[in-house]
Amino acid sequence: MNILTMLWRNLWGGSRTLLFPARPKVTKGYRGLVRFDPALCTGCAICRFRCTARAIEFKAAKGEFTWSYDPGQCTFCGRCVEGCKTHALSQDSQCPPVYLTIGALKNSYTVARKPAPKPAAAAPPAAAAPTSIPAQEARNEPA
Amino acid sequence: MNLTTALARLLIFPGLLFAVPAAWFFLWVERKSVALMQGRIGPPFMQPFYDFIKLLGKSTPPRSGVGGLLMMMWPLLAVSAAAGAVGMLPVLPSSGGFEGDLILLLALLELPSMCVIAAGFSSRSIFGEIGSAREAALSVSYNVVFLLAIVSIAASQHTFRLEALAHLPASPLHWLGVLAILVCLPAKLHINPFSLPNAEQEIYSGPMVEYAGPELAMWELSHGLEWVAATGLVATLAAPHFAAWWLAAMVFVALSFVVVLLLSATAAATARLQIDTTVRFYWQCTLIFAVLAISSALFMRFKS
Amino acid sequence: MNLWNRLMCYCRRRSPWLFHMNSGSCNGCDIELVASLTPRYDAEQLGVRLEGSPRHADILCITGPVTHNSVEAIKTVYGQVCGPKAVVAIGSCPATTNVFIDSRTLDGPLNRHIPVDVFVPGCPPRPDAIIQGVAKAAAILAERGNKLPVESVMVPIGESTCACADATQPAAGEVQP
Repeated sequence: MNILTMLWRNLWGGSRTLLFPARPKVTKGYRGLVRFDPALCTGCAICRFRCTARAIEFKAAKGEFTWSYDPGQCTFCGRCVEGCKTHALSQDSQCPPVYLTIGALKNSYTVARKPAPKPAAAAPPAAAAPTSIPAQEARNEPA
Repeated sequence: MNLTTALARLLIFPGLLFAVPAAWFFLWVERKSVALMQGRIGPPFMQPFYDFIKLLGKSTPPRSGVGGLLMMMWPLLAVSAAAGAVGMLPVLPSSGGFEGDLILLLALLELPSMCVIAAGFSSRSIFGEIGSAREAALSVSYNVVFLLAIVSIAASQHTFRLEALAHLPASPLHWLGVLAILVCLPAKLHINPFSLPNAEQEIYSGPMVEYAGPELAMWELSHGLEWVAATGLVATLAAPHFAAWWLAAMVFVALSFVVVLLLSATAAATARLQIDTTVRFYWQCTLIFAVLAISSALFMRFKS
Repeated sequence: MNLWNRLMCYCRRRSPWLFHMNSGSCNGCDIELVASLTPRYDAEQLGVRLEGSPRHADILCITGPVTHNSVEAIKTVYGQVCGPKAVVAIGSCPATTNVFIDSRTLDGPLNRHIPVDVFVPGCPPRPDAIIQGVAKAAAILAERGNKLPVESVMVPIGESTCACADATQPAAGEVQP
């Protein structure tokens, strides 16, 4: 008769359902979207090498490079975050949103290369500017 | 009973105008109570109505020839038979009727499952054939008990007239018969534990596999009307007799509601049984009681 | 007729019936799809029903990168879905083939074969994300009304893949919302 007591308790005990737009909280170590900090990035492209799904693209040009990330291609494994020596990449707990066309979630950043620091005087770091409309904001260094 | 009361019975109460919203209401009650018993909130109140209207707006696959006509005919036949069965229930006092209308009610209650079997075979799909074969095996099993139970009730009261059956005082044999009918109802209405023909993921919806759009809406409606008719039959057999028509109607609806809740509790508490277990259950366990009921009814009749 | 159309749009949004199909996936997304029917996430509060036959469903939920063996099956099942229909690609595999990007056994992202309306990214996506995707697809279905999407060819009963096999392919990457 266990099932009948279970049904009775469920009937009067209320439901454990989340009503529709509500979403549950994620756990502490949840691997969600990858966040990029252009100020810390040195352009070594280890993240592109380590990425299992080829979600990260890296194109080098003279004096600057373009780094782009497609959450629709990502498998959220975290290898890029592990491999980044300067901790420019981090994974936060946000899930990628639902989208309607392929490539709609892709973010690109064009980061100017920082000149090597001279031993005598401190070199001013260059500013970074995002080229497409990303979901996260980019920090500007004081010039 | 003149023509206007007959038409009012068939079309208004407990006929079509009452039966169709009641069908949607009972379908919702079943889904919602099963959901609440499983610890979740279920569909909103008007959900069967939304499903019905949405299905009316879908297109049907192209069909040709006699097979196509046949496939279109089965759901319409099922809906009219179920609606007719609801219209014939002796809910209101002085409903009239004729001698032997119990047999007509039983035949009308049988037709929807016959239509399901025929529809599965006429859809020329192997999943439909498997589902129809299962439905046929199920039908043979529970119908023996169902019919024996009703016939024993009728034999003990010496009448085959529905109105007389509903209004005569009850005997212990009467309650045994009602219990036997209640045991057959999960199989008739295709709910757990006897929901075999409806096995969705197993046989791709069985007999309904090739139906879509308005025809599927008619099948869902006939399923709901079967709920109203079957629970209404139990309610009329179990309800006490009232002189006021509105009191009788309210008691009818309330008793049907209670039977729906009982069936939903059974559905939430059990899992789907296989065909051999189902057949064995009806032929071994319950047939004994049905045979006992009818033999004692005949024995008492010959004694008196 | 305007009242009927409005009623029909209202009802289409509130009664999305799903058919789930696996085109070679690792089953992670399938498990999360079935998890969205459990009491905690309860897709039935939106009227969602998982149907057994493609002819009954409005929304086709497809998981998995499309393998060579499943392309014909997907096109056939897409042709068998009736009436106004929508397609939801669950997981990042149908959208971009994710980690299997260089595999020889795959046949590209899903919208090379059928028009896809909603992509639910994630590997696997959370059940609440899947429910959001299905709700968005139901809203799209309600707006779309009776216009069928491009290249929807209905497969009649008894026919196999022939009706859909020569459907013209959509332009890669772009589908109309």
